[in-house]
Amino acid sequence: MNLQPYKTAGLCCLVLLLGLTPAIAQQNAQRRPRRAVLEIPEVERSEVICFALYTVHDNTLKLTAQLYPLQSGESRTVRLEIETDGNWVEVARTNVVEPGWTAPFRVENWDDTRASNYRVVHGAEATYEGVIRKNPVDKDEIVVAGFTGNSIQPAHGGDISRQDLIDNVRKVDADVLFFSGDQVYDHNKHLAAWLKFGRDFGDIIKDRPTLCLPDDHDVGQPNLWGESGKISTLSGNADGGYRQPGIYVQEVERAQTSHFPDPVDPGKIGQGIGVYFTNLNWGNIDFAILEDRKFKTGPAGRVPKQGPRPDHIRNPDYDPDSVDVDGAILLGQRQLDFLDRWAQDWRDASMKVALSQTIFCGGAHIHGSANGRLHADMDSNGWPQTGRNRALQTLRKAFAFHYAGDQHLATIFHHGIDEHRDAIWSFCVPSIANLYLRWWEPLEPGQNREPGSPEYTGDHLDGFANKVTNYAAANPEKMPAGNVLNTRSAGFGIVRLNTQTRQITMECWPRNVDVTDPSAKQYPGWPRTISQFDNYNPPSWGKLGELTFDVDSPVVQLVDRDSNEILYTVRIAGKTFVPAAPKDKTFIIKAGKDAPETIVVKDAKVGGAAQSVSLK
Amino acid sequence: MNESNPHRLPIACLRLGAFLCFAGWTWVHYYWEGPYGVLLWQDATYDLATRLGLSWDEFVGTGADDGFVQKWIARIWWLYLACTLLTITVRKTSWVQMSGLVLGSGLLTLLSYASYVAAQRQLPMFIEHGGQMLIPLILVMALALGAGHRVTVTTAVIALIMTFAGHGCYAIGFWPTPGNFYAMTTLILGVEYSTAQVLLRTAGVLDLAVCVGICIPYLRRASALYATAWGFLTAIARPVAGMSWGLNYWGADQFLHESVLRAPHFAIPLFLFLLWRKPGEKKVSQGRQGASAELH
Repeated sequence: MNLQPYKTAGLCCLVLLLGLTPAIAQQNAQRRPRRAVLEIPEVERSEVICFALYTVHDNTLKLTAQLYPLQSGESRTVRLEIETDGNWVEVARTNVVEPGWTAPFRVENWDDTRASNYRVVHGAEATYEGVIRKNPVDKDEIVVAGFTGNSIQPAHGGDISRQDLIDNVRKVDADVLFFSGDQVYDHNKHLAAWLKFGRDFGDIIKDRPTLCLPDDHDVGQPNLWGESGKISTLSGNADGGYRQPGIYVQEVERAQTSHFPDPVDPGKIGQGIGVYFTNLNWGNIDFAILEDRKFKTGPAGRVPKQGPRPDHIRNPDYDPDSVDVDGAILLGQRQLDFLDRWAQDWRDASMKVALSQTIFCGGAHIHGSANGRLHADMDSNGWPQTGRNRALQTLRKAFAFHYAGDQHLATIFHHGIDEHRDAIWSFCVPSIANLYLRWWEPLEPGQNREPGSPEYTGDHLDGFANKVTNYAAANPEKMPAGNVLNTRSAGFGIVRLNTQTRQITMECWPRNVDVTDPSAKQYPGWPRTISQFDNYNPPSWGKLGELTFDVDSPVVQLVDRDSNEILYTVRIAGKTFVPAAPKDKTFIIKAGKDAPETIVVKDAKVGGAAQSVSLK
Repeated sequence: MNESNPHRLPIACLRLGAFLCFAGWTWVHYYWEGPYGVLLWQDATYDLATRLGLSWDEFVGTGADDGFVQKWIARIWWLYLACTLLTITVRKTSWVQMSGLVLGSGLLTLLSYASYVAAQRQLPMFIEHGGQMLIPLILVMALALGAGHRVTVTTAVIALIMTFAGHGCYAIGFWPTPGNFYAMTTLILGVEYSTAQVLLRTAGVLDLAVCVGICIPYLRRASALYATAWGFLTAIARPVAGMSWGLNYWGADQFLHESVLRAPHFAIPLFLFLLWRKPGEKKVSQGRQGASAELH
């Protein structure tokens, strides 16, 4: 038999396979945007300190300096100095931690009633200066600038300068910076990416308390269900746990969170990974810093398959209860216990804010680049529903406002548990540069919409049948012209917390605008102002009799007389307060200057008479 | 079977490897979804669709329904199923079936390219799929040219080298070692990170040594045998590390296909090992086959 034709055909196929297919696939290679080149630059030894992050809480300063890699033979000691009467005085020194090149300082008995210039010093040459702010307890309005999703890829504008963000933070003189996650998108080179983050944002970070929550991409994976430190092997990591070794995750958390106030429950999880959930009290705002990924259960193999990925539900006819499986955890008991204590503790606090990676609902319908409709996404905090409801039940007891990111889609939601709008509000900020597009686009118009508002607002059920009420969504264009930054709904958030009026104002700004320019426009739906007390004001509730106190702004607690359950605790604004409460029940009201230590009403009911209360 | 007897076993090995590879990917496409998103959701793809006359809504869907992309991604599993069947039915004279398998190689190449793009265009990610991409071609070559033909053998060696060089580059750390390499090592062997790193580095060196050894006549049989064993172990590592009694279907629907579709990683080295058996071993094998045929 003549084999020549076979040989020729075989060789042709081989050539086609190895050469032509990738060539066809690369047909637009010349137009393919550049990828970011992420390397650690060589720096002068005088520039070896890249940036520094700090918080001050309960008279303890914690500051972490981030260094470039040191050379062999260089000192591993770093000093922290404070300017006092024109002289630099050393207040702490520490050794550089490897891997990661962080220098964590801790200074107790810190006087937070005045601002202090500081400098971090390494060797004889390298210094890095900034300002430790005074605790802004005398300010009426605390400004928190919020960011998420710091992609550096040029394809969607990630290589465009962050100078607009720096300028705007300075213009609004933000008191706190909040980076909700994905500060780093590189899954293998956190140090190099974190140093770039420091070069981009260090100028504003060095002068104000900053909170960075590591999210999935920060720890080197596309999605994260941490499952208390389990090891994940499944592509996509929906089996729960961490893809990268524990030592990598530990390095990430050292870099991003070691300057946080001490964790309230510091026990480690699997692989020696620490925890950082805690609270930061600053300017009479009590921030709960949560880790909504670390303990969360992975869905793969635990819930019935409902879509093309273990964490995606495409079938709109599925039974939402079928995925709310026993044993599935969201925040975990340790964080819930912390939140329960935090909700009742109003020392030096007028308002409460919960900070976490993402929001407590499925906050998008279309995922990817117009990539079809996804009924529900278990990467969101809408799943597991029982865990979501427990978190919201705890947070609303403190009238906590929720500030988060992750979704790549800015939204405002008022969450519901038993009825629409009976729990807290959340603001999800837009991405700094948007890697992955999402849209909030329900098929049915929302119920009870505000007059003139878009059909996507109003009361809805998310893909897990959670009750949500949308007030704004910065949906990107379907076919983005230019496909960078604002056409992809990039931007940042500002939250203004007024401790006198108890109002919370949410602002959502596109990139490259001047927020102080009166002609600058926010995304549609913003700004929106709510009251602190809107965070737990179910529509079905009534009002108890007005209470008038003889002290200013005491702490009030409402307790169900039959079950002894605490409904909520809050520091009221001023001397009068009209508590909201469920109808047809009897309540005990406790109050006190800084803690609800005194029973002031034993049998309060909706529609009851006004009362005067003495707490002196 | 119409393959000549000396090559019956090696070709059966190729058939099995190609069958499992396509079967695994059929499962991925049918039960889950092909990983094409990274290729499809690009400006260039939209432009191409527009040039082909598809409107935006037709291409991506209106949001309320699926567009061209979702519909066709959901149908691709038929092609993989067809290729799976062809690995069983293909014969030396069946041109159409051979052409189908060649096209199947193209499909697998596209998948490998998608993985490469998704991995930030890390070269080893494309290279390590060499075994999967090439096994249908090697099967066609083995049938058309003969299992021992130098083109067939050279292609099989290239496939083996691609697979092990890709793995080796990752394991040694020339490119960042994927986290799941550490994860599987730690879970299966119960070792700490530092030990896992040493083991991976060692395995990486051996991977590259195999790439060299397979080209050296005195070492090629040992190299092929080691590659068979290591290819098998790494293929089954995913279900071994990930499956659990506590999961639905013990996690089989999540992990098992990950092992099955990697069958070429051990099937191709085994094919080479069987080809390169010493004459004495071949005679024994042929004798057994003959006896078996007589009994039937």
